[in-house]
Amino acid sequence: MTLLLVILIPLLGAMLPPLMMRWGRGASAGSAILVTLAALGAWGSMVPAALRGEGATFKLPWIPALGLNLSLTLDGLALLFSGLILGIGLLVVLYAKDYLYKSDPMGRFFAYLLLFMGAMLGVVLSANLLLTVVFWELTSITSFLLIGFWGHRADARRGARMALTITGLGGLCFLGGALLLGHLAGTFEIAELTSLRDSTLSHGWYVPALVLILLGAFTKSAQFPFQFWLPQAMAAPTPVSSYLHSATMVKAGVFLIARLHPALGGSEVWFYLVGGVGLATLLVGAFLANLAYDLKGLLAYSTVSHLGLIVALLGIGTQYAVVAAIFHILNHALFKASLFMSAGIVDHQAGTRDLRSLGGLWRLLPFTAPLALIAAAAMAGLPPLNGFLSKELFLEQTLELPFAAGPWWLVPALATLGALLSMGYAVRFGVNTFLGPQPKTFPKPPIEPPWGMRIPVALLVAGCVAIGLLPDLLGAPIVELAAAASSYLEVEGVHFALWHGFTPALLMSGIAIVGGVGLWYLQRWFVPVFDQSIPLPSGERLFRATIAGLVDLSRSAKRAFHPGKLQTAIAWMILSVVLLVGSALLVKLPRWTPSPADIDPSLLGGVALLLLAIGAALYFHRRRAVSLAILGAVGLLLSMGFVYLSAPDLALTQLSVEVSTIVLMLLALHLLPAQSVKERVGLHHLRDGVLALGAAVVVGTLTWLLLIDPPTSATSAYYLAQSKPGGGGTNVVNVILVDFRGFDTFGEVIVLGIAALGVYAMLFGMGLPTRWTRPETPDESAYPLMLGVVARVLLPLALVVGIYLFLRGHNEPGGGFVAGLVFSAAIILQYLASGIGWTQHKMNIPFHPLIALGIFVAGLTGVIAIAFGQPFLRSWFEYYHVPILGEIELASAMAFDLGVTLTVVGGLLMVLVNLSKLPRSTSVRPLTLAEEED
Amino acid sequence: MIPIALTIGFSAVMVSMFMALFRLIRGPRLVDRILALDTLSINAIALLMLVGIYLRSDMFFEAALLIAMLGFVGTVSLSKHAVGRSVIE
Amino acid sequence: MNHLILAPILIPALSAVIVLLTARADLRLHRSLSLLAMLLSCSASIALAYSAFSGAPQVYAMGGWPPPHGIVFVLDRLSATMLVLLGVLGLAALLYASQGWDARGKNFHALFHFQIMGLNGAFLTGDLFNLFVCFEILLIASYGLLLHGGGQERLRAGLHYVILNLVGSAFFVIGLALVYGGSGTLNMAELARKLTVASPAEGVVLTAAGLMLLFVFSIKAAAVPLQFWLPAAYANAAAPVACLFAIMTKVGLYGILRIHGLVYGLDSPHIVRYAPFLLLVGGAVTLLVGAFGALGSRGLRELLAWLVISSVGTALLAIGLLGTEATAAALYYMVHSTLAAGAMFLLAELIREQRGSTGDLLRPGPNVTQPTLLGGLFLLGALTVAGLPPTSGFIGKAAVLASATHRPEVVATVYAVVLLGGLIGLVTLSRAGSVLFWNLGPSPDIQPRAAGVGRVLPVLLLFGLTLGMSAGGGPLLELMTGVAAQATDTSSYIDVVLRDSGGHR
Repeated sequence: MTLLLVILIPLLGAMLPPLMMRWGRGASAGSAILVTLAALGAWGSMVPAALRGEGATFKLPWIPALGLNLSLTLDGLALLFSGLILGIGLLVVLYAKDYLYKSDPMGRFFAYLLLFMGAMLGVVLSANLLLTVVFWELTSITSFLLIGFWGHRADARRGARMALTITGLGGLCFLGGALLLGHLAGTFEIAELTSLRDSTLSHGWYVPALVLILLGAFTKSAQFPFQFWLPQAMAAPTPVSSYLHSATMVKAGVFLIARLHPALGGSEVWFYLVGGVGLATLLVGAFLANLAYDLKGLLAYSTVSHLGLIVALLGIGTQYAVVAAIFHILNHALFKASLFMSAGIVDHQAGTRDLRSLGGLWRLLPFTAPLALIAAAAMAGLPPLNGFLSKELFLEQTLELPFAAGPWWLVPALATLGALLSMGYAVRFGVNTFLGPQPKTFPKPPIEPPWGMRIPVALLVAGCVAIGLLPDLLGAPIVELAAAASSYLEVEGVHFALWHGFTPALLMSGIAIVGGVGLWYLQRWFVPVFDQSIPLPSGERLFRATIAGLVDLSRSAKRAFHPGKLQTAIAWMILSVVLLVGSALLVKLPRWTPSPADIDPSLLGGVALLLLAIGAALYFHRRRAVSLAILGAVGLLLSMGFVYLSAPDLALTQLSVEVSTIVLMLLALHLLPAQSVKERVGLHHLRDGVLALGAAVVVGTLTWLLLIDPPTSATSAYYLAQSKPGGGGTNVVNVILVDFRGFDTFGEVIVLGIAALGVYAMLFGMGLPTRWTRPETPDESAYPLMLGVVARVLLPLALVVGIYLFLRGHNEPGGGFVAGLVFSAAIILQYLASGIGWTQHKMNIPFHPLIALGIFVAGLTGVIAIAFGQPFLRSWFEYYHVPILGEIELASAMAFDLGVTLTVVGGLLMVLVNLSKLPRSTSVRPLTLAEEED
Repeated sequence: MIPIALTIGFSAVMVSMFMALFRLIRGPRLVDRILALDTLSINAIALLMLVGIYLRSDMFFEAALLIAMLGFVGTVSLSKHAVGRSVIE
Repeated sequence: MNHLILAPILIPALSAVIVLLTARADLRLHRSLSLLAMLLSCSASIALAYSAFSGAPQVYAMGGWPPPHGIVFVLDRLSATMLVLLGVLGLAALLYASQGWDARGKNFHALFHFQIMGLNGAFLTGDLFNLFVCFEILLIASYGLLLHGGGQERLRAGLHYVILNLVGSAFFVIGLALVYGGSGTLNMAELARKLTVASPAEGVVLTAAGLMLLFVFSIKAAAVPLQFWLPAAYANAAAPVACLFAIMTKVGLYGILRIHGLVYGLDSPHIVRYAPFLLLVGGAVTLLVGAFGALGSRGLRELLAWLVISSVGTALLAIGLLGTEATAAALYYMVHSTLAAGAMFLLAELIREQRGSTGDLLRPGPNVTQPTLLGGLFLLGALTVAGLPPTSGFIGKAAVLASATHRPEVVATVYAVVLLGGLIGLVTLSRAGSVLFWNLGPSPDIQPRAAGVGRVLPVLLLFGLTLGMSAGGGPLLELMTGVAAQATDTSSYIDVVLRDSGGHR
């Protein structure tokens, strides 16, 4: 439980600094310090047990289905890293308190920092690989926030995004690799993975999983070829660089390699991949550091190089190589953090980080300068500092490699070269900044910074010296414990000493030191050469070019494929359906000879008429009114077709809809030009033609398949059988509509209502006039007298016909829908004949409530059934004998039909009447031919 | 007797419909087409009546009734449009 | 029988009707009524889910006509999950709209509730034609909602949306004709039963029907190359409408799960052997196209629309992997992406308003009025959508990837596609966040008003739910596994529905 607290305290405590800002910066920083101390306290309470080898563990199931559990452990490796995170974290908080400028939002800074601390602790304390992934990504995110802290600076933004992208890519690869590993091993718990090492190494997925996981580690630790993001991240405030990008976050990759070494290490692939990348990074980083002008950039490349050293050692993988690696993790953290802080002091006090503008600062910063120089010496690997010890060990390990790597002297020579280059840049850092001549002026007059910035440096440097002098006492115990946790081999009896005698490693160190000094002398000649004439391949430039290129590609692809034209979209749709269904037909269509069907000769005449009319409508498609007239004929012929197929209800419906459709279309056509734009014939017409043909073939084939083998449907037999006894009507079509499938009708009627509402809302948005006045001098042709008289006479007749059709619908062709259409047509005729003003004055029908009433009535018939304990929409009917009239039938279906009628009338009229008001709207005027677009 | 009459009737109506369709396509003006459409509707009434006689059923009578009652509305709307006015104003 | 199953349909219908009947009344009255109705139907959905997860599927025969002849509603775990998801999303969208958006046009609340009704009906129905009718209801209500608020851009986007969806509906009807022609029934369970005994001749028609339906559902789900209607529509819709639209693509995915996963069975011979392969490839292409399209977007809402397309691709991919584990991952991912997308669209509107004339364009502009709140929410949202831990997006993505390990022949491609898509999403969102909140231009003279609690609360609600999905990921994935198992068990579905044909007549 305490283990969980160690992680939770910084994560939750991150809320405190922003809240405390209202009491000032001091309070905010104080809260950050307190939180860190609390976490340190919790951690400290578990240290004694951990040092004895009985580290605390914690487990809470989170997502068992994925194998992801909240498993934590405090073994040696975790102990070392968590100590570094918390200890250096405390020092960084102290440092940052005085470093941050007055204008920086301190609360937010400490919040991000504490969040990062918690996430990083999660990474190192986790005992479940997927949990590590979770915290891993959290560190990437918090690092992004911290690098971009000075968000107003373009370089900070770019650096943050680049860091996030590269580490994010690595994180995704890590996730993939972890999932593969978990699948092949059957578990994500790291302790169990360790014991399964042999079977893991021999599995076919070992190499892919390993490569993916290593990609994650390499990107995080800025190993070659991913090293370019780290210098860009130097745009962050220095406390961030010191904490994240030297001591903790970039070490996460190394941590992962160490953590998984017992589970995945020992194979040839491991040796060559890890070792090779590490060695390459060591050299590349050290080389680039020699070329750097920016203090922080130099330190960044140096970090990359030292991480490469550690990675190379872990690649070698022998017991002492692992010990050396762990030891160097500790040492590097100490001296690098202090170096970054000193560079920060220089930057903060002198106003510049550029080596070309610095020099001779030992006079002006008498406290900081010696500390920085000692730290630089540790970085270079000079005795008697801690850096020397671990570098010696490194050089020693390169002499005994477990696998072949070229001639015996190659790797040691390269290692020595790396050490040489390290010496070179270390001297460059120390001498060019603090020693030598002073420049004329500094951007700011340098004086020593507040104690809050000097004490952390002093403490860290003291650590370097102490470990250098007493390594066995101070370093060995923890290193041994951590190394044991990082190796699948036994690690015990670790001893460090400054003097081992005249070993080959000592010789190599000596060469490196002397050569490094010499290199420093040569820098003044070869650095400018690289600067001006030899352009090095810049990962950073490549990265930015790639992203920019992808964005441009995306935009041009969208312009090409998404021009916002309907034709493109529909073409794709037709293509998809033709390919999809057509291919299935090709595959599955049995080869049979179609039996010749008997064709009724009278049908031929009707079909010919229909095809002729459709063809004409297409031919005249540009002349809209003509086309509409022909479409009216098509509708009429279609009704005749329904008559032929013995479907009177359909014929009635088609005929009554014709009227409303023509009126609707004409209302719209009034606002459009009489002719549509003439298109130029182009390639897209060929495309359209082919697609249309394909679709026609597919749909035609499907129709033919349906017609030659009609289904025997139990449902249709059931409907026919049950229509009178169960539904109470002999018109089975109507009974289907209102009873068997009444719920569908309910839905469709609602659709009609919604359509009307939507149209109204849209027209309202276009600005319909609220009051309607008749024009001052009514034109004779607007309201022809004959039409008015006929309309008036026709209204009651049409209403009677409508009622008649409504009442008999259950047993004869007719029904609520047709009745509603007839009513609407009759009323529309009034509007047509006498105008909106007159008609609305005479009968002001509220359309919204009418639609609502219709739906309500239809629904009510269904709900009433529920009140009687029956399912929704269960119909009821009874026959009554009435004197004179005879037998009449009362059915709930009639009430349902009434609802349908009301909705149809309301919806149709709402659309037509409001559409006709449009020409008088405030913002609409008819389009001219030139303005029309497709 | 009746079958022969029916055959003549159907043929006449069919020919008439073709002629109306011909005028609908040929035009040359919208007014001609509107009249052709109206004629087509009247022919449809006749066709429906003949069908009713042929099938000995009165199932399609109401369809003919509807065409007769409402068919002219379409004609009137198109005419109003042809004159250049909005259909409903 | 349990009439509660009707509540998700009837409550919205009734409230819409009342709103229409009182069309002249004050908007505030409509708001309260509307919110009350939404709350009630959401509670009903939760109650239904409780009974669905603790017992057998419930069957309700409309009008008392026994299946397979009448229309049935079937409440199983999949339906229940979608009902609850819609209830929550609708509540959030309505809360947001009630702060002012509903006054910018006419008939908002009526259209809104009709759309909810259509969506609920689509999730509950067990009849194919009824599915079509419910699709029509939800589509036509969505047209009205899309146009809400007016404006040139909206009208143009709305026109394209209407026409493309109408084409889809036309093909749906053709597909239904094929289904009836090939099997003689429109009931899903009966169709499933017929498919097990179909003759070769009938089989051709049924295969064509199945593929036609797949085409239609893919249009709804905005799978590539049928996604053209989505970006412009979602980018221009009013914020609460866009939030509700987050579930529209999931309706298409639901259709595929129901019809092709359950009725046909994805590995049945009647749907061509390459159907799962189609889903895999289609899903992969959609994922990448969506991510790529988001990268080149110029506005935040357009970016989010493309990311919605990408999330559809992930879900399709997971469905195509076959198997209970993969389907469970797909379901989890569907729920997560709906909530996340809904929240992000609402948030995008808040950001857009507070950036003055720059709006939601991704170029340097003034700082928002509430940078901490909106920036923090954007960060949370970006993490959720990009699939970074500890959000539900990460868990969903990890679940999909984990289920792919059971198919060694495709695991490499699936991993490559999903991880690449995730990376592009990450890059896109970090660029967007950087330009919205860091790369600031000069401040305007008048600072736009801060967003009130009423509009921030829905965003918090939806994000809170995604965080809950993450924290409770274990139990939730187990639940989803149960849903997936039931949703692919064709024979018990047939039994449950058709057994009930003891009938009431």
